Amino acid sequence: MAQAALIDPSHPPEQSTAPRPAAVEIAGVTKTFQRRTGGTHLALAPIDLAVADGEFVSILGPSGCGKSTLLYIVGGFVPPSTGAVTVGGRPVTGPGPDRGPVFQEFALFPWKTVLGNVAYGPRQAGASKADAETKARGLLARVGLSAYETFYPKELSGGMKQRVAIARTLAYDPAILLMDEPFGALDAHTRLKLQNDLLALWERDRKTVLFVTHAVDEAVYLSDRIVVMSRQPGRIKEIVPVDLPRPRHRDELLLDARYQRYVIDIERLIEDPPEEAGA
Amino acid sequence: MIRAWRSDALVGILPLAALVALWWGIVAAGLAPRALLPSPVAVFGRTLASVADPAFLLHAWATLSRLFAGFLVALVLGVGLGLAGATNRFVGGVLRPVVRILAPVPKIALYPAFVLSLGFGDASKIVLVVADALFPILLATYQGAARVEPKLVWSALAAGTSRRAAVWTVVLPATLPSILTGSRIGLVVACIVVFLAEMITSTDGLGYLLVRAARSFQTVEMFVPLIAISALGLALNGALAALRRRLLAGFPNED
Repeated sequence: MAQAALIDPSHPPEQSTAPRPAAVEIAGVTKTFQRRTGGTHLALAPIDLAVADGEFVSILGPSGCGKSTLLYIVGGFVPPSTGAVTVGGRPVTGPGPDRGPVFQEFALFPWKTVLGNVAYGPRQAGASKADAETKARGLLARVGLSAYETFYPKELSGGMKQRVAIARTLAYDPAILLMDEPFGALDAHTRLKLQNDLLALWERDRKTVLFVTHAVDEAVYLSDRIVVMSRQPGRIKEIVPVDLPRPRHRDELLLDARYQRYVIDIERLIEDPPEEAGA
Repeated sequence: MIRAWRSDALVGILPLAALVALWWGIVAAGLAPRALLPSPVAVFGRTLASVADPAFLLHAWATLSRLFAGFLVALVLGVGLGLAGATNRFVGGVLRPVVRILAPVPKIALYPAFVLSLGFGDASKIVLVVADALFPILLATYQGAARVEPKLVWSALAAGTSRRAAVWTVVLPATLPSILTGSRIGLVVACIVVFLAEMITSTDGLGYLLVRAARSFQTVEMFVPLIAISALGLALNGALAALRRRLLAGFPNED
């Protein structure tokens, strides 16, 4: 029911997300880096954010605002300096198969074929080689790369690599997808295509998605809510619920005045000179 | 591809041919006494004859077995220590100063000590090969493993792999290009050092053959083991290059 409410444009997103359990709870998370020259650098000021189950949340901000660091902290790859992240009610102490990352750099295993990359997760979970490969073939079919299973990643285009990376992550069926500027390294055409495919995928599975990006149009197109961050130190400037109907279609959306309004407003929000905050 | 390889091989053969021609020219012009510098024709003729000689092959086998034994131990130790040092902070902390002190030590200087403690047999020579071939492999592995893209490891950890298992399933394969580069250097060093050890104290092996020939002024025989060891090195290098192409099929091409 909660998901149906999300599609219904007449309901403000606050109402539709409020009753659902929090999938990710970020409470008072900060990150301080030691400077090589001595001293410290506050990369993330205290961040509080709750992401509902099945919600698509983008984290948007200029480079250096700590948006990727925040994602890595949720992933358990980087520990927070203070504060805590809970996922499904359990505190995050390290990476786990409940949170699947997708990186801008793809991070595919170069020594494994496409099939081997996607089968990696199921293999690690203890599936037999045959079962893991069956599962991997199913996922490769979903991302349209069945013909490429014997290829090495280096033989693929950027868009194909990212499809493989997404399939590799989906192969261990994480409840939450952590996407770190996943389409940032792709050309404009491929980027649009993968956005559409990701939306179709998400509309089918309704996984919780945390999506880091610096592209405003991408964030508005994909998200239920947009967390706008500012720099020095990285902190949440504003959280913008995106009240646009789903399923979304780019051609309709581009003509939609509300979509245009969101893009313009958020661009302005980012352009504003960041207020100086005491570190 | 094959054509490019052929022309590469051709370009590689040219200076070798020039060197042999120079050698032949010096001998033919009588610039060097024949007793000290035999003609290349005599040397290559004797080398070819030696390949069919079981006694010579036994010597070559003695050298080869020491070389392989030492190289394999160095490979296992170097890769193991390099990986452990790069992935475990404690091991790395212990390993770094030790390697810094031991790596520049000329290992051949330790050979008398190895002979005293391990005897004149294979053990002291193999240990010398290990000591010399270890460091290039260890250093290459350590640096390669320390530079593995963290997101590769993260991708594995997120898939449910333990940190320990990720060392084997991600860090080791990702380090393979560096390991093979280190191995290539280690293999050349092993060729040199096993020959040296056999020249110093031995009763068999190619190095021993050279010293024995030199002591009795048999200059033709003196060159045979030299050509044999360089042919051996060339063959081993070729085998390693083939292995590299096979193992690194998925990695980005180097230059």
